[in-house]
Amino acid sequence: MGWALTSRTQQRLLVELAVLVLLGTGFLPLVLAALELPLAGAQGLAHARAALAAPATWALLVRSLVLAASVTGLALALGVPLAALLAKTDVRGRQAAFLVHAFPMFLPPFLLALGWFHLLGRGGILGTEASSRLLFSFAGVVLVLALAFTPVVTSLVALALRGIDPSFEEAARIVAGPRRVVTRILLPLAWPAAALAALVVFALAFSELGVPMFLRVRLYPAAVFARLGGVEYAPGEAFGLAVPLLGVALGLLGFERSLAARRSFPVLGLRQRVTIPLPLGAWRGPAGGIVWVLAVLSGLPVAGLVLKASAGGFAGVPAWIGASLTNSIVSAGVAATIIAALGLVVGHGLARGRAGSRLLDAAGVLAFVTPAAVLGVGLISLWNRPATQVVYGSLAIIVIGDVARYGVVGVRTIAAAVAQGPVEHEQVAAVAGAGFARRLFRIVVPIHRRGLAGAWLLALVFCLRDLETAVLFYPPGREPLPVRIFTLEANGPESVVAALAVVQVALTATIVAAGAALLRRAQRP
Amino acid sequence: MTSVIALEDVWLKLGATPVLSGLSLTLEPGEVLALLGPSGAGKTTVVRLILGFIAPERGSVRLNGAVASADGRVLQLPEERNLAVVLQELALWPHLTVAGNLAFGLEARGMPRAVREARIADMTRRVGLAGKEDRRPAHLSGGERQRVAIARALVLDPQAVLFDEPLTNLDVSLKRELLALVHGLLKERGVSALYVTHEPREAVYVGDRIAVVGDGRVVQTGTLDVIRASPANEFVRRLLNDLDWSGVAAT
Repeated sequence: MGWALTSRTQQRLLVELAVLVLLGTGFLPLVLAALELPLAGAQGLAHARAALAAPATWALLVRSLVLAASVTGLALALGVPLAALLAKTDVRGRQAAFLVHAFPMFLPPFLLALGWFHLLGRGGILGTEASSRLLFSFAGVVLVLALAFTPVVTSLVALALRGIDPSFEEAARIVAGPRRVVTRILLPLAWPAAALAALVVFALAFSELGVPMFLRVRLYPAAVFARLGGVEYAPGEAFGLAVPLLGVALGLLGFERSLAARRSFPVLGLRQRVTIPLPLGAWRGPAGGIVWVLAVLSGLPVAGLVLKASAGGFAGVPAWIGASLTNSIVSAGVAATIIAALGLVVGHGLARGRAGSRLLDAAGVLAFVTPAAVLGVGLISLWNRPATQVVYGSLAIIVIGDVARYGVVGVRTIAAAVAQGPVEHEQVAAVAGAGFARRLFRIVVPIHRRGLAGAWLLALVFCLRDLETAVLFYPPGREPLPVRIFTLEANGPESVVAALAVVQVALTATIVAAGAALLRRAQRP
Repeated sequence: MTSVIALEDVWLKLGATPVLSGLSLTLEPGEVLALLGPSGAGKTTVVRLILGFIAPERGSVRLNGAVASADGRVLQLPEERNLAVVLQELALWPHLTVAGNLAFGLEARGMPRAVREARIADMTRRVGLAGKEDRRPAHLSGGERQRVAIARALVLDPQAVLFDEPLTNLDVSLKRELLALVHGLLKERGVSALYVTHEPREAVYVGDRIAVVGDGRVVQTGTLDVIRASPANEFVRRLLNDLDWSGVAAT
């Protein structure tokens, strides 16, 4: 970036580049997905009309919505009280319990389903006929996903609770007991975080492909996926089926804009305030028991994977893993870097109220809440052309998919970090004569470097755990590790597949540990 | 002679609340104008308008005769105005050393390294920070941080410096010491300055003229003697009554 450019030009170029990336990777494919239907020709339209006219289509959609709502309800019911206990009370071992509980949210939920299968399936360590029947059912999918996504609620609400001005809590504690302080003061103040968590869980549960397909439960996004790759592929049908999903995504975006957008992103902040934990008194023991049961339940499927992999699975890893680990690390690393750069420009604009930033943020949220099947339809439609095979046939398409789906993770994380820093640092730099780029790279980046690194790590984890997006269009031989595990699950040796899942767990654990160390340093006074 | 800064009939609302209602003022070359008024009078809004962070809904802000903002539009960006500011929060860049804080604006203006270093050395010596150039703000005392903020503004040799209540919350002796430093630096360099404060004593000490702000406009402008001899209204009279005149004489 040349410093000779005027400040306005620097800002325009950087913002236009971010717009190009955000809209080019995520929004344009969504528009194309919506346009494919009218462009599908008479035969395509007929296929789409037939698919949409079938009562089974709508029954499946309702079933998927009920599933997502059930998962969300259960995750809120478990996650909100757990967050209050972990963030605000003197429950024993709360930090360790939080780590055990939260870690599985960074793994592909399909891996957790696989872990539950090795525990509760017919041949599982604890498995019976009844447990297997429960696991391979609608209720089983709800339970697996609820346990997988409850940590999302717990984490967001706990962060919000810890970020509340201590004076509110202290003023309440003078006149009321711990239960009343939590239910009447703290939780109502943290509701935007709970609303955001509900939105994220609903979107993730509705979009989920791996778990319902593995547990043989037919749901709408899986049906779109099946029609995209199926032998009876009919032009127009998959696009037609994608339209209701787009409608649901727009509904979620509307909810996010009306309820959560203005107040939700500061709750993702890095700063926390120190308060004395609320004493639970006689309830400390039972509450600790509940917390640890839930924490162990969240982590149990990982134990199932380790146990299965220990039965000779690790020896088979080198032969079966192929290039998938490298594919995962390279594509996720490149995507996370692009996401962090995107987040710097757009997230900074969002935090500082720059014109157009909220619109860009909305485009990012839309791509995130839209089921991956729809985004996949758009990305295939945009890139699967003779002229762009160099992209479509390489890891670049995985990177594009990751940036499209998880771009908003970088935007929101960096916006939260920047919003909590004083604007005066940048204002004084502007008055001193520094243009936009100089302020961004010499003031914003160094001051918020930990927030940026946190955004990069979070984006990296999201990209590494992705299955839904990549599974739709991964080029042959270029599949990331979760896709490799998913495709091997049906025919590969069970213990080796479990061992591959443990490799994914270890990779994620390393990155999460780095992120935790970073956060600890950021919070140190 | 053209005013360095001129606000002409400026109107501004924040939400539904009127903040400035036809405010006008001028800052002449080499002059220190103290903008005096109670909290909530709109003083900081005036600073933000002059810096270009907000635009007046009606009226204009002129810098050296050229319109910089007018009628809802910022025509000249903050970085193009050749101004400097010392804020109450100081806003020292925590990742840069004392020398780095002073160098930042000079680098942005493309000043050659040798000239830059000479100017920084001169300024750090002048404000009593020689030998502390390599320290970061976190490793300085409160008074030293104030000195860095003042030096960072003046090292740029701007057409005007804006001080937005820079000495609020300091103890009396430190405030007196820093007021003397600011006053001395401004006078020896002949820099125009707008010094915003709610404390009459500071306004009297540092300002060549005083502009009293109330209800979103300048109620009265003049030297201390003029305002003291004939206050424009009861508001000005009461504001100046708060002064301990013997104390003013002593400073």
